[in-house]
Amino acid sequence: MGNAFKVAKWEFKRNMKNKSFLIGLFLTPILMLGFMILSSLIGDSDNQAKNKTRVFIQDNLGVFNTIQETAKFHQFNWEIHKTEISEKEAMEQLKTVENTAYIFLNQGAINTGIIPVYSSEEINSSFMDQEVQFLIGPIKTLQLKQLGLTGEQLAAVSKDLVFKEANGATSEEPVDLGDAGKDMMKSIVPGAFAGIILLSIIFSGMYIFTSASQEKKDKVAEIILSSVTPGELMQGKIIGYFMLGMVQAVVFLGFGIPIATWKFDIPVFEYLFVPELILYVALAILGYLLYAALFVGVGATMSDMTTAGNFQGMVMMLPFLPFVFIGPVIADPGGLFAQIGTYIPFSAPGVLLLRLTMLEEWPWIEILIALALLLVSVWLFMKLAGKIFKVGILMYGKNATPQEIWKWIRA
Amino acid sequence: METVLKVEKLRKSFKGREILRDISFEVRKGEIMAILGPNGAGKSTTIRNIMGIMYPDAGSIQFQGYKDIPRNKIGYLPEERGLYKNVNIMDILLYLAELKDYPLKKARERALVYLKKFDLEGKDKVSVEELSKGMGQKVQFIASILHEPELLILDEPFSGLDPVSQELFKQEMRSLAAGGTAILLSSHQMNLVEEMCDRLFMIHHGQKVIYGNLDDVKREYANFKCTIRGENNLNVLQGLPEVQRVEQKEDTSILYLSKDVQIASWLKNLPDQIDINELSIDRISLHEIFIDIATDRNLLKEEGVVHG
Repeated sequence: MGNAFKVAKWEFKRNMKNKSFLIGLFLTPILMLGFMILSSLIGDSDNQAKNKTRVFIQDNLGVFNTIQETAKFHQFNWEIHKTEISEKEAMEQLKTVENTAYIFLNQGAINTGIIPVYSSEEINSSFMDQEVQFLIGPIKTLQLKQLGLTGEQLAAVSKDLVFKEANGATSEEPVDLGDAGKDMMKSIVPGAFAGIILLSIIFSGMYIFTSASQEKKDKVAEIILSSVTPGELMQGKIIGYFMLGMVQAVVFLGFGIPIATWKFDIPVFEYLFVPELILYVALAILGYLLYAALFVGVGATMSDMTTAGNFQGMVMMLPFLPFVFIGPVIADPGGLFAQIGTYIPFSAPGVLLLRLTMLEEWPWIEILIALALLLVSVWLFMKLAGKIFKVGILMYGKNATPQEIWKWIRA
Repeated sequence: METVLKVEKLRKSFKGREILRDISFEVRKGEIMAILGPNGAGKSTTIRNIMGIMYPDAGSIQFQGYKDIPRNKIGYLPEERGLYKNVNIMDILLYLAELKDYPLKKARERALVYLKKFDLEGKDKVSVEELSKGMGQKVQFIASILHEPELLILDEPFSGLDPVSQELFKQEMRSLAAGGTAILLSSHQMNLVEEMCDRLFMIHHGQKVIYGNLDDVKREYANFKCTIRGENNLNVLQGLPEVQRVEQKEDTSILYLSKDVQIASWLKNLPDQIDINELSIDRISLHEIFIDIATDRNLLKEEGVVHG
């Protein structure tokens, strides 16, 4: 084991001194951050440019200012103009424009109680359903004022009536709601944390793959193997790249936590250190070990990244298996697909992490079965990888075929 | 002298084909022992079995009388060799020394001394990928001796080296041997081996062909040959005493003489009618023995010289 740690230390140091690794280390989070900012910028400007609804108001009642304030108060995405055109002219105009509406406020409308609104064919879907309805308030007030109510009466009438149950249980309801929201964050934060760890160590697991095949390409394996056993070399690589993955995770979190704190205004650390975190991190580490064994084994069968055969390519795709389950799991965290994903060792860490953050009641039996499956497959794949690595790492100049690999495994 | 490495009845098969058959030899303290043989004869396989990189099907390997091979007491320069690309020279030397449990401080000092010795002074911070092939090989050689091994195994150490570097390697190997290091050297460059080794083991098709002291081997196998330039009748030459065989190509004839020939008297007794433009007498070199064996001509064997 001592030798394995020497190898691990070396792999760690070697990469930490390597410029391209260092650049990648910081570039990945920066890029992800950049894309987030960029997409939110694009999204924002899209909303403003495209979806701004132009509202023309023919105001004979003198409520234009009140309407403007109401729109502002409710943060409608409106551009309000006064207009003096007739209803007919408005209809003509609307044929040629989009996202535009004409509202005619006159005494006739007040009297009949129906305010005519003409809108273009294309218009923000929430405009008629929700936004315009908010204008009823100020107009109603005006109506009441015209009827000669005093200020006091006015206040009393315009006050909204609400039905509210008056027992103890409901009085707590709003508080409950808040708690539920917080609970949500509470379970998401450790899950996201473990997700980041899983993702970073899987990324660095990919480096193992390169490292193992590079070892062959540089023909350095035999020199190293004159001092350590193949098993120690393999373990060393797995441990070393695990540490590198942790560094990547720390860098990720170094970017992520301040941003999460600032953007969502949540006490990340308070939510982070909960008992669930232990299970999450354990899942992430088991997932890493499984992929690391897979990569180190397959990497040793290849002389060169560029000549990866179909077989090796398929294996490389396995870490992306959890992504297949993301849709179904989000739709139904307790459903059939979620369960299937939980029982496939290669997707289990990702799927379980996702499910556990979403489910309020943890399916303990499923978790235990999945953990057991995961442990067994980690053990099994480590064994197999060891066998493949031992022979493969010394096979220079050509890729191993699946048949050959099968023979090594049986040997 | 003290035996450092003892290989006994080594056998190894790949895919049903026997690569090594009953290979037995010893390497002693302070000697240079060479394994010779054409490509594919089984040299590297033998060495890999010694290094524990492969496991023999049968036979035993003992290091100073123990079956456990202490890897930190062995230095190894494999035939298939290289270094990590994107690291500097000192780092990789120290890493390899660390893997051999050699104290780091001492390793650093020795590394600097050796880098200087091999004309690589001041290159300790240079990245491996900037080195030429020869320089890389020097670094690998340094890595294999940095931890003061008791047994040094060098698989084709001279391949790809220029004559100047070859000389450096040879000097260093000699001084290591003089200092008590047992050296096992594999090569197919006979001339280099001939001037370096104390004993040799020639292997062909996974089997021992010749094993013994270099001088004995030479005395036993390397008979005299006489090369004559001039137009001569083959039958006349074949009729000369002590001539075992004649090879004739245009006007050059090579006469292979028998083992016990007295050169001076043999020369005196050459008939007058032989046309001699040039004449030279020398021993059959290891090179010729080697080629003879490697090409399966086995001419020497026909004459019963090779003791199987």
